Amino acid sequence: MILTLLFTTFVTVFLAEMGDKTQLTTITLSSTTNKPLAVFIGSSLALISATLLGALAGGSIANLIPAFLLKLLSGIVFLIIGINLLLQSKTEASNDSF
Amino acid sequence: MGKPNSNSKIEEGDSKDSNPFFSILITSFSTIFLAELGDKTQLATLIISAQSGRPLIVFIGASLALISTSLLGVLIGRWIANNLPRQKFTVVSGIVMLSLGIYLVTQGFIGFIQN
Repeated sequence: MILTLLFTTFVTVFLAEMGDKTQLTTITLSSTTNKPLAVFIGSSLALISATLLGALAGGSIANLIPAFLLKLLSGIVFLIIGINLLLQSKTEASNDSF
Repeated sequence: MGKPNSNSKIEEGDSKDSNPFFSILITSFSTIFLAELGDKTQLATLIISAQSGRPLIVFIGASLALISTSLLGVLIGRWIANNLPRQKFTVVSGIVMLSLGIYLVTQGFIGFIQN
């Protein structure tokens, strides 16, 4: 029973998360920085914390902070990272031409 | 040994490539934590946890799944960094991140209007 539940949860979450925006972020961060271990530890910790909140605190986060605010906030973070990467690619290109 | 400034050009490139370990860790953590709050995975965890009444088992299963997907993500990222032209991929991932940002901000605005 416990193993079945463990397995069900694992498969559900694994399939839901493959190719999701979180994994895209992990791919981007690990390919554009040279510290895959830091990205792995950081993203694992973030995902475990979010899951801990989901499994234990229940829906209280969603009640406390409205979903649109969370989306706006994370959207702004993604915009900042995107702009940063584009600026970075520009300096990389100008370095290559020398 | 221990004198990396013998080749200033390489050193310059290195220092630009490698941000401090800790700051990358913080960036990864905060970005993914924010993106994951209220996401479908968290909702799935919440529902399974409530249905089964065994939050610890659900937490362990979901954590293992998420660690596996982020390990895969990191490995895919390493592969891309080693096999595709770096500058091109930086542009592509910048555009992907911008699109995700625009999508999320739009979703946030729609949610705000509906509230």
